[in-house]
Amino acid sequence: MKKRFHLRYQAWLVISSMILGVLLTGCGQATPAPSGNSGTASGGSKLSVKVGYIDSLSGPAAAYGKSTEAGIKIAIDEVAKAGGPTIDLVERDDNFKPDVAEAMAKELVMNQNINILVGTVNSAGALAVSKFAKDNKVLFINSDSMSEKITGAQGHRYVFSIVGNTAMIGKAGAYQMSKMPYKRYWLAGSDYEFGHSVVNSVWTNLQQLKPDVQKIGESWWKVGESDFSSYINAIRAAKPDAVYVGSGGGDTVALLKAIKQSGLNTELPIFIHNSTDFDSLRPLGQDAPEGIYGTTFYRYDFPDNPTSKAFAETYKKATGNYPGFAGLNGYLTIKFLAAAIEKSKSTDNEKVIDALEGLSLDTPAGKGTIRKEDHQLMLPMVFGKTVKSPTEPYLITTDNVLIPADQIMPSVADVLKTRTK
Amino acid sequence: MDAGALSSQLVLGLSRGMLYFIVAAGLTLVFGVLRIINFAHGSFYMLGAFLSFSVAEMVGKQNPAGFWLALLVAPLIVAALSIVIERGLMRFVYGQEHLIQVLLTYALVLIFGDLVKMIWGTEFKSVSVPSIFIGNLSLAGIIIPIYYVFLLIVGPLVALGLWMFLHHTVTGKICRATATDRQMVDVLGINSTRVFGTVFALGGWLAGLGGALMAPMVNIGMGMDTSMIVYAFLVVVVGGLGNIWGTLISALILGVAEALGVLFVPDLAIVVPYVVIGILLILRPSGLLKSVW
Repeated sequence: MKKRFHLRYQAWLVISSMILGVLLTGCGQATPAPSGNSGTASGGSKLSVKVGYIDSLSGPAAAYGKSTEAGIKIAIDEVAKAGGPTIDLVERDDNFKPDVAEAMAKELVMNQNINILVGTVNSAGALAVSKFAKDNKVLFINSDSMSEKITGAQGHRYVFSIVGNTAMIGKAGAYQMSKMPYKRYWLAGSDYEFGHSVVNSVWTNLQQLKPDVQKIGESWWKVGESDFSSYINAIRAAKPDAVYVGSGGGDTVALLKAIKQSGLNTELPIFIHNSTDFDSLRPLGQDAPEGIYGTTFYRYDFPDNPTSKAFAETYKKATGNYPGFAGLNGYLTIKFLAAAIEKSKSTDNEKVIDALEGLSLDTPAGKGTIRKEDHQLMLPMVFGKTVKSPTEPYLITTDNVLIPADQIMPSVADVLKTRTK
Repeated sequence: MDAGALSSQLVLGLSRGMLYFIVAAGLTLVFGVLRIINFAHGSFYMLGAFLSFSVAEMVGKQNPAGFWLALLVAPLIVAALSIVIERGLMRFVYGQEHLIQVLLTYALVLIFGDLVKMIWGTEFKSVSVPSIFIGNLSLAGIIIPIYYVFLLIVGPLVALGLWMFLHHTVTGKICRATATDRQMVDVLGINSTRVFGTVFALGGWLAGLGGALMAPMVNIGMGMDTSMIVYAFLVVVVGGLGNIWGTLISALILGVAEALGVLFVPDLAIVVPYVVIGILLILRPSGLLKSVW
C-alpha cells in the first residue's frame, strides 16, 4: 500500500515536471503596450509612423533587451526634436522565446496595422520574424540578433540588419589571433546557435590565415550555466596555448567571474568575443579578470570621437550607465529607419526599403553604410584587452585596435552564394 | 590526464553537489511533509541570491562583513516570505487536487519572476567573493578555488543540522511522523498545520541559503530560478521522494557526474548527468533510497 502511494506521487512529480518544462519553454506573457493612433500625419509635412518593437524584456537576455530599448527611446526623442518623423513605438516582450516573437509579430502586423518591425535579441526569434516579414511583405530591421543567417543564407528584400553578425566576429577575431604566436587552441562556448556559430566562424577563418593552428579539444556548456569551475579545471588540465570562447551575454559575465576566481587568466591567453563589451564588464566591477582579449562592435570610450561621446553622455543621463553595444544597436536602428523615412518622404515600407539600401550615416561607432546587396550594416569592430581602470569602479579595455569594416565583412559574392544554396 | 586534474575535478563536483543538496533538501522536505510540489522553490533560490546582493550592496561592496551578513539575512527573509505564502495561500490548497496545487505554485513562479524584475531590474548583478576566499588552494596537485572548499564544509553542516532537527527536536519528530502518516498525527491531537508552516519556512530558508551561497560564484540575473528548479527536481526524484539522505547522495552523484563529464567528454558534457540519471532511474525507479520518514 505504501509503495503504491509513493509511486503515485512519483508519477505526479514526473508529469508535473514535464508540464513545467513545456510551460517554461512554450509560453510567455506580453507586456501591455501603450496603444497609439495609427499613422496619421500630425500637421504639415511631418510624417508619423507606428513601429512594432519585439524584444526580450524579460527572461535570461533581458539585460540586453532593456539596453536596446533604452537606445531606441533615446533615438526616437532625438529624431523628434530634430524635426524628423514621429515614431510611435508599440512594444512587445518575447521572453527570449522564438515562438512568442513570431506570435507577437503576427499580432502587431494584423491587429495593429503595423508594417515596420524591429527587434529581437534571440537569433531564432529574429529569424522567425524575418520569415514572417518576407511572407507578408513587411519591413523587419534586426536590431539585436547576431546570427549571420539573417542577412546571409536566409536574407531577403524585407530584412535588414543593423547589428554586426557572427561572420564578422569570426573574421575580426581570427585576424587578430593570427598575428599572435599561439598554435594549440582549446575551443569552448555556450551550446546554442550563437555560440557554435561564433566559434565555427573564428576557427574556419583562423585556419585559413594560419594553417598550422591545431585544435586540441572543445567544451560546450548549457546556456545559463552557473558553475564554470569544472570547465576551467578541464581546460587547465589540457594545457592549451590559448583558449577561444564563444559565449552568450549572461554566460560571458558568469564565465569572466569564474576565470578571475580561478586565476586562469594569469596562466593562459583567453579570447572571448564579447568580454570587452561594457555590458559584460560593468556588472562585475572589480570581480572581472584582467588580460582577457575580446572583440566588440562598440566601445563608448574608443575610438575617441565627439559623436560617440555625445551619445554616451545622453545614454548615461537616461539610464545611469554608459552604453554597451546593445544600447547602440537600438539607437542605430531608429536612426537609420528615421533617415530612410526622411529620404523617401514616405512611411510606405517598399519606399523605405529602397531608401535604406546603401544608406550611410555618421554613427557613434564610425561611418556606417548599409550594404545594398545583402542589407547588412557595415561597421568596424574594436579588439582590445581588459584592464583595471585608474578611475572607474569597473574594468576597461587597453591596447585597443579598430578593425575597419572592409576587413571583417564577408564578400557580397560569398553572402549571395549562401542564399542560392 | 594527470591525477591532480582528476582529483581537482572530483572535489569540484562534490562541492557543486553540496549546493544542489542544499537547494533540493528544501524541496524534498516540503514535498515529504506537505505533499506539495513546490515549483516556486527555484524562485526562492533566486530571491536568496538577489537579496544577498542587496544586503552586500547596503553594507558596501568592499566590506567583507557584507557577505556574511547576506548569508545570514537573505535566507531568513526568504523564510519569512515563505511563512506568509504558506499561511496566506498554501493552506487553502492542502486538501485539493495536485493540479490546483501545481497551478498555485506555478503562478508564484511567474509572480516572483516579475517581482524580481520590478525590484532589481534586468541587469546582471554580482556579489564579490569575500577576500578570505579569494584564490586557489593547491594541495598535492589539486587546484581548487578556496570558495569551493567553503562549500564543501557548509554542505555537510547543513545536512547535520537537518538530521539534528528531524531526529532530536519535537517539531522534527512531528515532521517525520506527518510525512509517514498525517491522519495518525491528527488523531494524536497534534496540530500538524503548525508543522506545515515551519517546514515550508525551512524549505524556503534552504532555497534562500542556496541562492546566497551561489551568489558570489555567478552572475545574478533573471532565469536563475528555472535553471535551478530543474536540477532540484532531478535530484529529489533520483534520491527518493522526501528522503533527505537520498537527496544528499543523488546531489553528490549529479555534481560529480557533471564534473567528470566535463573532463572526459567535454563536447558532450551536457548530456552526461542526464544519462547517469536515466540509468539510475531504470535501475531504481522509485529512487535511490526509500521514503523512510
